[in-house]
Amino acid sequence: MRQSLAGDQRAYATLLTETTRLLRPFLSKRLRFSNEVDDLLQEILLSIHKARHTYDGKRPYKPWAYAIAKFRLLDHLRAHYSDQLRHAIDFDELEENLHEHVTESEMSYESISGEVQKLPEKQALILQLMHQEGYTAKEVAEKIGMNESAVKVAAHRAYKVLRERLER
Amino acid sequence: MDNIEQLVASLSKEASAVKPAPHPFMLSLRWTIAAAIYLAVSLAISGLRPEFLEKLHNPWLLAELAALLGLFIVTTLSAALLAFPDLHQKRVLAFAPIVPALIFLIVILLAWRADNPPAPLPVHSFECTLSITLMTLLPAVWTFYSMRKFASTHYRLAGSVALLSAFSVGALWLRLHEANDSILHVVEWHYLPMLGIGLLGLWLGKVLLKW
Repeated sequence: MRQSLAGDQRAYATLLTETTRLLRPFLSKRLRFSNEVDDLLQEILLSIHKARHTYDGKRPYKPWAYAIAKFRLLDHLRAHYSDQLRHAIDFDELEENLHEHVTESEMSYESISGEVQKLPEKQALILQLMHQEGYTAKEVAEKIGMNESAVKVAAHRAYKVLRERLER
Repeated sequence: MDNIEQLVASLSKEASAVKPAPHPFMLSLRWTIAAAIYLAVSLAISGLRPEFLEKLHNPWLLAELAALLGLFIVTTLSAALLAFPDLHQKRVLAFAPIVPALIFLIVILLAWRADNPPAPLPVHSFECTLSITLMTLLPAVWTFYSMRKFASTHYRLAGSVALLSAFSVGALWLRLHEANDSILHVVEWHYLPMLGIGLLGLWLGKVLLKW
């Protein structure tokens, strides 16, 4: 790192490569998908590059690099979980609005059943059970052996496709 | 792996010699000297409290000023360490402000007990908090400005400690300028707002020091 700070490009490339090797197992243990690990590794390398002037050549390099890696990992996890939370709220709102749309809007399930049948089999089945037969997402989940949030996700995707098709 | 190799290649191409950041001790010394000059100039303009020399015989006032000065010095040092990703590998020092804060609290409690019969309350109230806050602005701006040049991984705490350090300068100035013996007033309008300032610093740190 001392050589890199002095402007030695080859030493810097070696250092970044070694840092990647050092941090990959650290991130792999904490993240589920390898593409996530790669994305985060790139972000960490950029952060190391940006903050390299804060490294003091008289101190060990690893604690400095790990501090940045941990910081970026926590940031990533925070963003990831807050995203999940936001979606969870969306699905709850969706479920509340679901019955209103079908019963109160001028568009009935029957009038769009042709479009529903063109959806993937599972999505069509979920919409049929929820809107033609009046089951809740929880009941549909029990009936077809899925979990409740997966049913809500599938329904949400189906609405999106239907909306796009009907707006055309 | 391809993307990472490409990134490594492009970053190493960009790598020119960089000027290393100053040592945090040096950084905090600079901030302390700047604050001392600012305090001296402010007192030269606004004037010392009229009975200052006489009040130097009051041990509780001296203890309070010494504790406040200690809090300022340690928070300044801590803010400088917190500006570095690894706290310059001096974790204990970075979290040291808790010690002078406790000492300060004890001194204030003892001074409060010793204030018997209580000194009369001054007629003003929130004006003191406002004056301290105004005095705090400049040191806060220069501290945050220079911290932004580094890379804090504890940006909330760094913001809070930096703002407390700046607020200590304002609190010191008012204690040396205002002729007031009421410890109750001092606690209520000089020192309790410090808690709010600490919380505000957490938010400011997130807004200004995140990188």
